[in-house]
Amino acid sequence: MSRARKPSDGSDKQRALRADTAERLEAIVEAAERAAESVIDDAEAQARRYLAQARAEADRLAEGRISGLEELIDSLLGQALSLRQEAERLQATLGEAKSLIESGAAPAPPRQEGPAEAEQPEPPRLRAVSDGEEPQGEGEGRRSDAAGARLLATQMAVSGSSREEIELRLRNRFEIEDADAILDAILGPEEH
Amino acid sequence: MSGVAAGIGLAEARALEERYLMRTYRRAPVDFVRGEGALLWDADGKRYLDFLTGISVCSVGHCHPEVVRAVQEQAERLMHVSNLFYTEPMAQLAQRLSDSSLGGRVFFSNSGTEAMECAIKVARKHAHRRGVSAPEIVSFEGDFHGRSYGALAATPGLAANEALGPMLPGFRAVPHNDATALREAVGEDTAAVLIEPIQGEAGVWPTSEEALLAAREACDEVGALLILDEIQTGVGRTGSLWAYEQTPVRPDVLTTAKALGGGVPIGACVTAPSAADVLEPGDHGSTFAGGPVATAAALAVLDVVDDPVLLRHVRELGAYLCQGLDALEGVSETRGRGLMVGVGLEEGIDAAAVGADLLERGLVVNVPRSDTLRLLPPLVIDSDHADRAVNLIGESLLAFSGR
Repeated sequence: MSRARKPSDGSDKQRALRADTAERLEAIVEAAERAAESVIDDAEAQARRYLAQARAEADRLAEGRISGLEELIDSLLGQALSLRQEAERLQATLGEAKSLIESGAAPAPPRQEGPAEAEQPEPPRLRAVSDGEEPQGEGEGRRSDAAGARLLATQMAVSGSSREEIELRLRNRFEIEDADAILDAILGPEEH
Repeated sequence: MSGVAAGIGLAEARALEERYLMRTYRRAPVDFVRGEGALLWDADGKRYLDFLTGISVCSVGHCHPEVVRAVQEQAERLMHVSNLFYTEPMAQLAQRLSDSSLGGRVFFSNSGTEAMECAIKVARKHAHRRGVSAPEIVSFEGDFHGRSYGALAATPGLAANEALGPMLPGFRAVPHNDATALREAVGEDTAAVLIEPIQGEAGVWPTSEEALLAAREACDEVGALLILDEIQTGVGRTGSLWAYEQTPVRPDVLTTAKALGGGVPIGACVTAPSAADVLEPGDHGSTFAGGPVATAAALAVLDVVDDPVLLRHVRELGAYLCQGLDALEGVSETRGRGLMVGVGLEEGIDAAAVGADLLERGLVVNVPRSDTLRLLPPLVIDSDHADRAVNLIGESLLAFSGR
């Protein structure tokens, strides 16, 4: 009945083969799972490293920026202080200029002929530099020039002109070669 | 149907003008349809470099985004209520104008000529308070203060037009920059001396500091007011917010307009404290003046212009522009301050022909007299714009000086 057993032999082999295959597959799956776990562990570790590095870099940058901002704030405070001092000087000069203008704008006393006019003490006010038609004392001309120069310098400073621009105008317009005194009074001493 | 005119083109616009508009202008044959910064485009798409800015109006450049935004936002919120009520932009602009100049009060108008009307009223009423029964206003020949009857009377060149007479009495003119004649003209009846710091329409002629000082002193002697017409020179045009800031005088009253609205009509008369309370309720008024849209636009303009960096740029670029122009063949001199420049042409060169040629070449300038070009570019141009303008003017002058 060997013929009858043959199928039974084949079936055993097949079962053995299936069992072997299943074992191998199980081993492969286990190996794959172990490999995957290892990859995941590595990835997590690497991510933690990256995160730590990124945090450190962010902290470093933030620290640098905070430091920069502190320097900027210090610088701005310094500038603000300087501006305030300059504004106070300008305010004082403007006050003087206003007094000059107001004293010049006040209604003049009635016009008198002859010596009486000369006896009236004139308040300082703006006057043309040269006037061939009207007699004018040298001292009076210098006073008017000084007032005009000071007002010009003040107005230019208020309008944002630089020290050099004002100095040039004073030199060209009023022939003032050394304008430092006026400029120092308005803008403060020049920094060297 | 939209209220905005459709693109009808130059030919039809000219035909409509011929039929419907009073013949008060001689327009150049260009139909501008768009502007941006220093550039203009006509209906055919041709591009122009604008060195006129609508006679010093669009000083911040055409359609400046901040001005456009201010106008849009205000127009969407509130456009007009009249001066019977308060509006915030008007109050804020008054503060800004006063604080940046003479420190007194402000009267708003719709134009420069209306600002002059206010200044003339202030001067006359101020004189009446001094006991002057027939007050007189002294100005310089060549000055241009406007075309309403008051401002016209103070504009000697136009006041001589007898066909428009009789003129308003109480005005006198002396030769420009003649300090002696000015002193002689000012007396007890003088209400004010009215001066352009730089004569614009006459061809860009700066008023000398001698004349300004003489005017200041003469006014002080009799108690008259010194009025400076800063309609063209103001709002940064000369490199300071107000032109007087670069002179040794300070006025009692100043007028401003043109660039103040960046393209939106607005003017203002600003006083020093000493003249701030002269006008009282009933003395003056205007329905539209100081409206929210115009004052919002002006606040945006001042945000741009009242900037030391920009004003320095105007002074430096003005000098750079003049340096380039002075080197050109056919230019006899340059005059002015900042970016208000008069270009004197050598004898024999017709400025009108040069102006028309420059328009063909794509540069917009003005020709105030037969020997002068007037340049009023946007304050925001750069040296490339200046170079391009100088090159175009040079090419044009070369073509004309050879004829």
